[in-house]
Amino acid sequence: MWVGTPIIFSGLALGSFYALMALGFSLILSVARVFNLAHGEMILLSGYLAFVLWQFFQAPFFWLLPICSLALLALTLPLHYLLRRLPEPYGLNSLMVTLGLALLLQSLLLAWFSADYRLMRLDWPAVAIPGLDFSFLSFQGLLIILALAVTAGVHLVLQRTFLGKALRATIQDREAAQVAGINVNQMGLVAFGLGGLLIGLAGPLFAQNMYLYPAAGTEATMIAIVVTIFAGLGRTRNILLGGWLLGLTQSVAVFTMGSKWRELVSAALLLLLLYFRPEGLSLKKER
Amino acid sequence: MQRIRSRPGPRARLTVWLLAALLCWANQPLSAAQEIRLGEIDPLSGPLAKHGQEIHQGILYAVEEANARGGVAGHPVKLLSRDDQSKPDVAVNQAQDLIFRGKVAGLVGGYVDSLVGPISQQAARHRVPYVASASLQQAFTGNKNPFFFRVSCLEGIVQPLCQFLSQTLKTKRVALLHAATPGATEFSDLVQADLHRRDIATVLQEKFRPGWPDFSVFLLKVPAARAETLISGGFYGDNLILVRQLRQRPLGLKAFIAPWGVAYQSFIDEVGQAGEGLFGACAWSPGITQPGTEKESQELVAGFRKKFGKDPNTTTMHGYTSARALLAALETVLQEGAKPTGEAVSRALAKLDLNLPMERLAFDAHGDPRHYQQVIVQIQKQRLVVVYPPERATGQVDFSLAAR
Repeated sequence: MWVGTPIIFSGLALGSFYALMALGFSLILSVARVFNLAHGEMILLSGYLAFVLWQFFQAPFFWLLPICSLALLALTLPLHYLLRRLPEPYGLNSLMVTLGLALLLQSLLLAWFSADYRLMRLDWPAVAIPGLDFSFLSFQGLLIILALAVTAGVHLVLQRTFLGKALRATIQDREAAQVAGINVNQMGLVAFGLGGLLIGLAGPLFAQNMYLYPAAGTEATMIAIVVTIFAGLGRTRNILLGGWLLGLTQSVAVFTMGSKWRELVSAALLLLLLYFRPEGLSLKKER
Repeated sequence: MQRIRSRPGPRARLTVWLLAALLCWANQPLSAAQEIRLGEIDPLSGPLAKHGQEIHQGILYAVEEANARGGVAGHPVKLLSRDDQSKPDVAVNQAQDLIFRGKVAGLVGGYVDSLVGPISQQAARHRVPYVASASLQQAFTGNKNPFFFRVSCLEGIVQPLCQFLSQTLKTKRVALLHAATPGATEFSDLVQADLHRRDIATVLQEKFRPGWPDFSVFLLKVPAARAETLISGGFYGDNLILVRQLRQRPLGLKAFIAPWGVAYQSFIDEVGQAGEGLFGACAWSPGITQPGTEKESQELVAGFRKKFGKDPNTTTMHGYTSARALLAALETVLQEGAKPTGEAVSRALAKLDLNLPMERLAFDAHGDPRHYQQVIVQIQKQRLVVVYPPERATGQVDFSLAAR
């Protein structure tokens, strides 16, 4: 087996995980212009819900995904109504409100679940590829498949539906969309709804791939911000590409240079990207 | 020219009298009812909250235990607890608040060197004794800060670990993965140097930032380097992920050993079967106690369970031990009829010799504990079994269980 095969596979799985963490954040930021600093804490909330359902009700993992998605949908819609009432400057005010929400959720999680680390202990069998001396964990495979499916789903909604057209118009130019008769507030509500579903989906995956503790949300928010910068604002379909690039870069850096270079290489890549392609990983350069 | 010598006026005389009275009052011993205030700074929120809260519970238990016995030399003890939010700048603010507004007689607590370091500097600057609960970096005690003491040290972990690897496991090639924190980095370098002296090669040595979700690529390098044993200098949460990924991809290792994070009942409960055969290190655990302190240890476990509804662990006991040290030093000073100034309490701490469940506690000239020594444990049938040193062993190493 070529030594690069497991490295590439690990990088793709890690990148898919990053993309799944970032999709909801990117969608809400692009359409509703809300820099949601409580994104990670909302993922955690979903993760803890998954943990409780798994631990106390023995809920199968695949049931957790839709249940948590719907639960977070129910949380993000009121959040949209709350944020909509904010006065100008909207960007700054929404930033402060979501920061406050992040602190509130952290404190609530600390009170409800204590500071203990929680791990979802599920056995994921290894899958061997016939003819190749290579096996991978089924959870890694699930991450890649889910990331592809969810990205394709969001892409199809945005590209092939009338609602998607209106969402894209809002992403591209909010004022022009409003002039064209699109209700941008309603588009914000749709973005929050879709974002809530995606955040809810990310929760059980986070709980399974990492471990839960009340302060872990900051890490998830950072992942989402970095991947969104990689992809470029409003370029939801590039989120997966950005996640993969980040995951692959980290895996190759760990293998070739050592674990300590992971962050440095990621930061260097981010700076290079911001310098040479500030618009993100878009295939076509904006004129 | 003749100098005119004038007698001091009534104002000056009054000032002198007032100053003298103030000095006398300042040196007066405390009246019996006057409370003694202890300041505690721990990460009660943020990424280190789990261990910060464990230390806090240990300190709280020690203070309540002292108050139940009638206080320290008849004085009730009041604990002022502060949360540093796992941030060094907040730790400094909290230390200053406790020293200036709280008027504490001493400071206690602290988890990881990045938080303990700034507090120890404040303690030195304002001449307040500080007994750190969990600190390892050698530089802190190398600078001879007479107000800084700690109940743990790196040597007490590195020595038994390396002896175990060489004498019991008889390993020849190790891989070392450690967290990128000052204490863990120093631990890794000391282990590498000690193993080198014992003819054990460190074939892979890498550090990582805590909170990393994917060790799979690093683990690919371990068999390629032909390492027999993997030593993890990561913390509790990182070991949870590392152990799970190790179980999913067996590497043909002789053993996995992690001094931090494994020797906890909660870790065993979280990882389940994946934890069987792992090695860890601990200074104390219910059932693993300093010889001669078995009864005290049992009473402590029972009392702690009654108060908090759970068992204490090795981290809790670090908090408890540090608080006991400070309380004992305060008692010595007060029994001598002196005022508990920073200098007096620090002098008493330097002369302390206590036999506590976690260790026989006496400090050297640098404030390091003289007798701190961890034991090596193996998880067997969901329980911690002491396997090294031989004089404290409660069972044998199960080599078949240890293989990864």
